Amino acid sequence: MAKYLYLSITPEALIASMIPPAEFGAYMATGTKKRNRGQAIFFEVDLDKIRHLINTDYLDRRCVRQADGSPKHSVYLSVYRVLETIPLNAFKNLYLTTDNGIVLELSAAAYDTSKETGKALHLYQELCPVTPQIASKLTPSQLLKELTDSTKPIYLPKLMFVELRLDELATNPLTGSGEHLPYTSIGHLRDCLEILKNEEGKAMKTVQRFYHGSLLFRTIQSGFYVGDKENILFYRYPTMTELEDINYEFLRAI
Amino acid sequence: MFSLPGASTFEVIAIWCVLAIALFGLVYALILRRQVIACDKGTDKMQAVWGAISEGANAYLRRQLRTIVPLIFLFTVILFLSVYIVPPTEETKVRFSGYSDESLKLIIGFGRAVAFIMGALFSLMVGQFGMRMAVQANVRVASASRRSFAEALKIAYRAGTITGMLTDGLGLLGGTIIFIFFGVASPDTLLGFGFGGTLLALFMRVGGGIYTKAADVGADLVGKVEAGLPEDDERNAAVVADLVGDNVGDCAGMAADIFESYEVTIVSTLILGVVLYITTGELSWIIFPLLVRGIGVFSSIIGTYLVRGRKDDKEHNALSAINKGFYTSAVISIILFGLISFFYVHDWHSFLSVVVGIILAIVLDEITKYFTDGHYTPVKDIARNSRTGSATLILKGLGYGFEVTVWQIVVIAITILAALLIYWGQSVVHVLYGVAMTGIGMLTLTGNNVAMDAFGPIADNANGVGELSHLDKDARKIMDSLDATGNTTKAITKGVAIGSAVIAAVALFGSFVTDVSKVQVQMGFEKAQQLIETGIRISVPMVFIGFLIGGAVPWLFSSLTINSVTRAAAMIVEEVRRQFRIPGIIERTKKPDYQQAVDICTIAAQKELIPLALIAVLSPILIGSLLGVEALGGFLAGVILSGQLLAVFMSGSGGAWDNAKKTIEDGMYGGKGSEAHHAAVVGDTVGDPLKDTAGPALNPMIKVINLVSLLAAPVLIAYQKPGTFSAGLIITGILCLGIIVGAILFSKRGGFKKKVRD
Repeated sequence: MAKYLYLSITPEALIASMIPPAEFGAYMATGTKKRNRGQAIFFEVDLDKIRHLINTDYLDRRCVRQADGSPKHSVYLSVYRVLETIPLNAFKNLYLTTDNGIVLELSAAAYDTSKETGKALHLYQELCPVTPQIASKLTPSQLLKELTDSTKPIYLPKLMFVELRLDELATNPLTGSGEHLPYTSIGHLRDCLEILKNEEGKAMKTVQRFYHGSLLFRTIQSGFYVGDKENILFYRYPTMTELEDINYEFLRAI
Repeated sequence: MFSLPGASTFEVIAIWCVLAIALFGLVYALILRRQVIACDKGTDKMQAVWGAISEGANAYLRRQLRTIVPLIFLFTVILFLSVYIVPPTEETKVRFSGYSDESLKLIIGFGRAVAFIMGALFSLMVGQFGMRMAVQANVRVASASRRSFAEALKIAYRAGTITGMLTDGLGLLGGTIIFIFFGVASPDTLLGFGFGGTLLALFMRVGGGIYTKAADVGADLVGKVEAGLPEDDERNAAVVADLVGDNVGDCAGMAADIFESYEVTIVSTLILGVVLYITTGELSWIIFPLLVRGIGVFSSIIGTYLVRGRKDDKEHNALSAINKGFYTSAVISIILFGLISFFYVHDWHSFLSVVVGIILAIVLDEITKYFTDGHYTPVKDIARNSRTGSATLILKGLGYGFEVTVWQIVVIAITILAALLIYWGQSVVHVLYGVAMTGIGMLTLTGNNVAMDAFGPIADNANGVGELSHLDKDARKIMDSLDATGNTTKAITKGVAIGSAVIAAVALFGSFVTDVSKVQVQMGFEKAQQLIETGIRISVPMVFIGFLIGGAVPWLFSSLTINSVTRAAAMIVEEVRRQFRIPGIIERTKKPDYQQAVDICTIAAQKELIPLALIAVLSPILIGSLLGVEALGGFLAGVILSGQLLAVFMSGSGGAWDNAKKTIEDGMYGGKGSEAHHAAVVGDTVGDPLKDTAGPALNPMIKVINLVSLLAAPVLIAYQKPGTFSAGLIITGILCLGIIVGAILFSKRGGFKKKVRD
């Protein structure tokens, strides 16, 4: 039976499993007994490309059918500094799972940095390895470069984040309409954006220090980014109209 | 058989044509039924889900019948015997000249009893057949949605139309048959017909309302909020009860409710028409309303048949197809009314009253739509307030609920004013007749309205069947869009139901004044003491007391129904939690016992019927016997005013909260799972029993109280001649008071113990 390797982002862990992504997502969100609920975001990882990084004996010994013949759901292989260890070329598709176990599959798309506009402000939710929510003047590629720059005293070897909607606040933090933004502290967000806009040389500002483990999928702006200072993988998030065709169940669940 | 002094050949033919149209409406319903039943029921899995819904629906209907039948029997006997207290009217003596007084009593007593049974039976048939048809249709709509939007829409709407045509056909048939047999004496028996329909509507509305919201609130609280399951998840033990509840509340309850408004408006119009006929000698006062009803049925048949979706409709725009049918019916009706007025009545007053009624229906539709539809400011505003929590969302909903009430009552007041202006300078009876004709006009398109309403639960259930049988994406999209349209049509028809209830009640109120005066004349009251001369004087303390108590009755009624829903929902929560603990149910390896939740809701719904019916039936007798007939008039005014305000407020707020939640679920403010959504779910849960249980239950309650007052008034007058004292009335009043207090205590205590299978 096939073995799958997943990099869970929330929480960070490398997990082997005998179940395919859609079932794995449902398992992560609702548990074996289906009594649990909670979002899950994970990548499928190419086992062949990281075989040298993991204990394959342990994997082969543990990731086997259970006594009743059912497939093994999860074997945790690593839970710390996993993202930074796995090479970007081993990342396959990204899977977003709603808290009731509906899974959306996103493929990596070519990311054209030349199309990034520099004027607007951005809101990013960092997902791994650290999880603050930040507002920034930087475009996604610039942010990635900035935060993974090893010449800086504080840097991350690799980072995954998602860009969130700001609507009119992106260009007009003070008086722009935040009508449809569901963030709990819009006032604070406006303050942060206003500081960024007016303070020369300040590129980032923390909006929330903690991520509560639940992303409102309707607030995603462009998509998910993962990379280091050299490379960037971009997982474009479909528009709601596209989502209606791609995965109607997911759309109904969010 | 048909005897009406002075009737022209045209008038005799016209009456028979009306009867033929009523029968044709029923035949049309039968044809549609055959068309719907001929459609396929889909896969085995779909049929298994449908089987569970069907079983639950049948269990509810059987149990309801068992509760209601003894009461029907009891009231039949009472109505038969009532004629022995108050002698038949002068018109009866004219209609059945040559019969002895004893024979007349037998004829009227028997007629009243049979009319009551007929009214009750027809109301029951509309509710029960309509609901069975809705259950038959849902699986077929789900199956058709795998093929095309147009086919699914056609089946859903035509199945709804069956209920609509039953309402139309049976309502018209009953009134016309009574008129053909009794002629000018028909008011004596029409009251029985109206009372039968109204009492049954009260049972179906109250029972349906409690059932549907106990299941819905219970299923949502434990399934969606607590366990995080999606809507219509097969692991939720209350899911089938919830689906059955949609039919019980929105199909059976609503159809019976509109049916009785339909009945009651014709009853009050004919009562007033007979008074005017006696005064003026013009038969058109009686024939015109029947013709209007016949035209309404005819135009509804055409309009409803035109409703069909386009095969290439990618937008799935069901509402525009439904609206097209509605407006076609409206235009046909108005043209035909005009022709009849021009060629037969030769008078535009009645025509204008009917047109005002149609306009009233459309304006009430628009007001309801504005305050409860997600496309307009109020619902958007309520949804916006969800961002600051459930408290502000609820406050906004309350604010808009209060406001919609004001506009609706202003529109109804303008309508009554219009009737006054149309009959300016003529007698009070003319004006009241104008108001009654407005009610007739308003309910002209009952076939379309009920079809639109019944379409809602059919589409909702089809979506549930689709969810539970895991149909593909394209089918789900079609069912989602039909379901969304159904939610809109249900909300719109609620506005019409409440508005028509008030207009019908005002017309009955008019009949009360004229009927009481007629009996007072018979009893030898001096002219100055007759109600038509004195009016209902609110400045008289007894009358004011009656007014105050009347104003309080709808609140008592609402309190008891909402408490009942809360109790039953709590039992559902416990039951679903219990079943979640059974190994295998959550894991989907074992099916829940859906029947348990169905039983809980069924029992909860039925046990409240008797106390609430007792309150509605006995409260006017209590007031009338202890405070007098004029105070009873004040009591009725209080019931109508307070009942209308409360009913519109509850359905307006509840509908707005519901759609605010849907707006957020469609993507506003973060969609499902956001803080805004949590707040909106709270608002919707609060609003559910308001808009679907307590609010709608007030419509038939208002009319039951009015009809009982009409029936009881002559009896009361017989014992309340000025200067006399009746110990019997005092004892009756005290007895009624005791029974009402007992009914309240019984209801508050939770009624019978839960009797469900362990």
